[in-house]
Amino acid sequence: MTTRPRRFRRVARQEADRLEEPVREAAALARKLGLDPYPVNYWVVDHDEMNQLIAYGGFQARYPHWRWGMTYDRQRKQDQFGMGKAFEIVNNDDPSHAFLQESNTLADQKAVITHVEAHADFFRNNEWFSRFSGDGDLDAAAMLERHAETIQRYVSDPEIDREDVERFVDAVTCLEDTIDQHRPLAADRDGERSQPEDLRERLDEMDFSPTVSGAVFDDEWLDELAEAEAAAADLDRPRTDVLGFLLEHGTVYDEESGEAVEMEPWQTEVLELLRREAYYFAPQKMTKTMNEGWAAYWESLMMGEERFAGTDEFLTYADHQARVLGSPGLNPYKLGKELWEYVENTANRREVAEKLLRVEGVTWRNFHDVVDFDRVQSLLEPPAAIDAIRPDTLENLAALSEDDPRVDWETLDRALSDPVAVDVGRYPWKVLTYEGLAERHFSLVKPQNRGFLRRVRRLELEEISRYMFDDAKYGSVEEAVADVGKTVGWDRMREVRESHNDVTFLDAFLSPEFVESNDYFTYEYTRSTGDFRVASTDPDDVKKKLLLQFTNFGKPTIAVFDDNFENRGELLLGHRYNGIMLDLDEARDVLERVHELWGRPVNLMTIRKEYDDHDVEIARRRNREPEPVEVGVRIRYDGEGFDEFELDPGLKERIAADDIDYDTKPDEWLS
Amino acid sequence: MGLREDLERFREVGEERREDLESFIRYGDLSGSDTDHIQIPIKVVDLPEFEYDRLDRGGVGQGDGGTPDVGQPVGQPQPGDGDGDEEGDDGEPGEEGGEHGYYEMDPEEFAEELDEKLGLDLEPKGKEVIEEVEGDFTDVTRTGPNSTLDFERLFKQGLKRKLATDFDEEFVREAMKVAGETPQSVFQWCRERNILVSLAWIESEWDEIEAEEREKWDSFAEMESNVERTTAVQRIRRKGLREVPFRRDDERYRHPEIEEKKQKNVVVVNIRDVSGSMRETKRELVERTFTPLDWYLQGKYDNAKFVYIAHDADAWAVEREEFFGIRSGGGTRISSAYELAKEILEEQYPWSEWNRYVFAAGDSENSSNDTTEKVIPLMREIPANRHAYVETQPGGTAINATHAEEVEDAFSEDGDVVVARVSGPEDVTDAIYEILQPASSKASTASPAGSS
Repeated sequence: MTTRPRRFRRVARQEADRLEEPVREAAALARKLGLDPYPVNYWVVDHDEMNQLIAYGGFQARYPHWRWGMTYDRQRKQDQFGMGKAFEIVNNDDPSHAFLQESNTLADQKAVITHVEAHADFFRNNEWFSRFSGDGDLDAAAMLERHAETIQRYVSDPEIDREDVERFVDAVTCLEDTIDQHRPLAADRDGERSQPEDLRERLDEMDFSPTVSGAVFDDEWLDELAEAEAAAADLDRPRTDVLGFLLEHGTVYDEESGEAVEMEPWQTEVLELLRREAYYFAPQKMTKTMNEGWAAYWESLMMGEERFAGTDEFLTYADHQARVLGSPGLNPYKLGKELWEYVENTANRREVAEKLLRVEGVTWRNFHDVVDFDRVQSLLEPPAAIDAIRPDTLENLAALSEDDPRVDWETLDRALSDPVAVDVGRYPWKVLTYEGLAERHFSLVKPQNRGFLRRVRRLELEEISRYMFDDAKYGSVEEAVADVGKTVGWDRMREVRESHNDVTFLDAFLSPEFVESNDYFTYEYTRSTGDFRVASTDPDDVKKKLLLQFTNFGKPTIAVFDDNFENRGELLLGHRYNGIMLDLDEARDVLERVHELWGRPVNLMTIRKEYDDHDVEIARRRNREPEPVEVGVRIRYDGEGFDEFELDPGLKERIAADDIDYDTKPDEWLS
Repeated sequence: MGLREDLERFREVGEERREDLESFIRYGDLSGSDTDHIQIPIKVVDLPEFEYDRLDRGGVGQGDGGTPDVGQPVGQPQPGDGDGDEEGDDGEPGEEGGEHGYYEMDPEEFAEELDEKLGLDLEPKGKEVIEEVEGDFTDVTRTGPNSTLDFERLFKQGLKRKLATDFDEEFVREAMKVAGETPQSVFQWCRERNILVSLAWIESEWDEIEAEEREKWDSFAEMESNVERTTAVQRIRRKGLREVPFRRDDERYRHPEIEEKKQKNVVVVNIRDVSGSMRETKRELVERTFTPLDWYLQGKYDNAKFVYIAHDADAWAVEREEFFGIRSGGGTRISSAYELAKEILEEQYPWSEWNRYVFAAGDSENSSNDTTEKVIPLMREIPANRHAYVETQPGGTAINATHAEEVEDAFSEDGDVVVARVSGPEDVTDAIYEILQPASSKASTASPAGSS
């Protein structure tokens, strides 16, 4: 794409001009709302360029590989059928780059822009992202372009077979998710075989007489000892950064000599580059739900509630939003947005409850009886001056006390003296501060959240009051409500967005209340009927299953357990079995690729569930699920064929995790 | 460098790993395709990765207005992701197979490959005139700009005229010297001798004859034996071409020829027996045979229309989506379908403008005498490039299943009618070949595939 001549395109130019103001104002609004995004460069592209960007994962240059061509091909075909319209692409970079399709409606463009600002905030402030960038400058586009150039150089190098490069890239790509995404790229050095110190050196220091050492510490004994210790050390800390391990210890099979030899420099470099890309993209995969939910939340607030969509665009926007949030299945936009709203509501509710519990006579025991929730609700409503801001209501705002923190006094003065410059009709938020906007959008007074306060559980109230000392601070509910901090919800949300990833986010905020009110359920495959069935609606089960889908990118964890298995230089990988078995066909295919990076035989330990036909039949008749037998297996690939061995019980124990159970099937299945 | 190259490389990789066309037609999953896009599964295209076993993993779904009951089947849950930027990491069953591993071809490519594979060579006929274009300057008119005057023709016509009107003046003059003759009698004599002289010329030349010459010959016969007649060519050779009589009549101006460009229209009528005896295996074989035929013809013609007719004892037109799924319980009267086909074809697809393919399929069972008394006459009444009957009888023919045989007998001399028999998926490609082969080669084909 970068090699394409830069055409001067009138359409794109016009579109860019039209979007200049929305871009400027969206960034300003985002900052007013407490967000702190990277600066964003917006690019207007046509739909073909958009498809190319999608294929390249949001960037303009990537290393040569047929996989991008495949995505592009698929994208183009979807595009042709009007399906899968990509509304936004923004990449994690400083500055971020976002791409707008020139044929989108203005309402869509604005939605994309507000969405993108929130993503840029997330990229900048979420700690998982900063692990990659560290303190240094993030320049992802330049990094990926450098990688592209390097690999392209090898591809065109007449000394290197193009197919070899491609096959090598394929092999590494198969393992792109077998990294240790919880650690920064550079820090993963432990898990190295901790070499036991050789006793010989110490014996030398001790200066025994040759007779003594010869009789007691003979060489054979010393060798055996060293070996045994090394073997014990192997399994100490299995290393989940398989790519990193291969980078350091990998070899390739040399046809001519018939043995494993060191990797060529180009191979080491390609492996290193691709591993770095895997680490760069990992945070996006780890925070997809949070990040999309975050963007959807702020987009909706800006576009809908702050009317960033013009009146005439509002319907188009509502339609767009409904489509995005309403798409079926486990939708990260919807799940994420709802969870963020839950975070906001609970923080706000806690704040209100804390204040109310300090009213004289209100305790956690009588809370639901003495508090008039309707009254509280109306007291929480923002005052008219802040709620309805139009050019003709600015006087009401001006009438507020001069040190009112909710009013952006400077802008208000300007709006009053030069109405055109500020355009309050269009951008009412300009005359408010963060505090003002928080009050204007205080979540508990929104129609959809009415009743949320009332639903607070006694247990939670008790918990709050346990650490509360001056519990008779307010003489009346009015006084208490007036003291409610309206920014608590948003403040809390920003805290959460700094430190969480999808797994911790779901773990912390997927409450039983949330699962029940959203009708989530788990499903499992049943052997007796041969289809998927609803297995449980229990919030704990739902959460368990969801966590399975998010932990380790929703993929099984594979680690290096030994690089000198059975003292033959074979690689031993282990699947950390959590009760869900591997797709063994796929796993075998991966092993073939791993062999290309190891050069010697490779082994994979896993546990397979086996069902006896007879048991299945009996279970079917009794409307139960058959009990599988969990068999430990070691699959070995030597470059030519597969062998399967029973797994040593000691090793089986090492890969099986007993404390996790993702199975949500009820005992009395189907009965 | 760049995406174009990646795309090309993907095509190459895809092509290498694509399922063989023949086995795709016989055993592949045809359902992912429609008549515009044919998806051929690619054996392995996406890279493998460590994954959970799909069945063992289960998942989370969201109820549609209410929490479902435990034990209720959930069907195939949909893959998620709101904006379609498929990430594929939300892990739902049903996502595998749907997304990855297809090589797409359009019908043109399909037709080309099938031609190659089966050695077919179907030459589509253009029918409906869609535009007139100026061809070469090969047409002529009587008027036009001088620059387009066809001088060669004018000259040739003039030359012809000259030759036609030219006569041996000397010879006629000698005839005028025969004693006792008058201009009138000389003219008469010349005419008898096919000398193209006019009476006026003789009369004007009459007085030019010298008096002493007048009785030079006693008779015409004497003159003839003494004077040599020359041919026009000899005269022109001798004297040169002095004057060519150009006439306005002979002027022609060259003019571009109007060529009619014909669109290759095709209408394919797919008729299927949906009666009770057409069980699932038979239906599948019909679908497996008809679908590639549809694709092929779609790829061969500019404009392809498809008519789907289902019948038991009655016939009705249906949409493609329903066509292969319908089952009814009624009896069988194949003629009902041909009646409907005839009606639809005559109304919407006149033979003068459309290539027609009428394909019917079933298990050869028909109500008594319907085939001979009605179907065969109807087939004769419907002009078509090709009529075909595909008999799907897994495991041999039933006793009362005689429709195919009767049709075959009735049209044994007619190259445009083909009967093919399919008893299992392995016969499908042969059947397709038979149905599409050029009419002339029909007789030379060896025994039909799957006949039993």
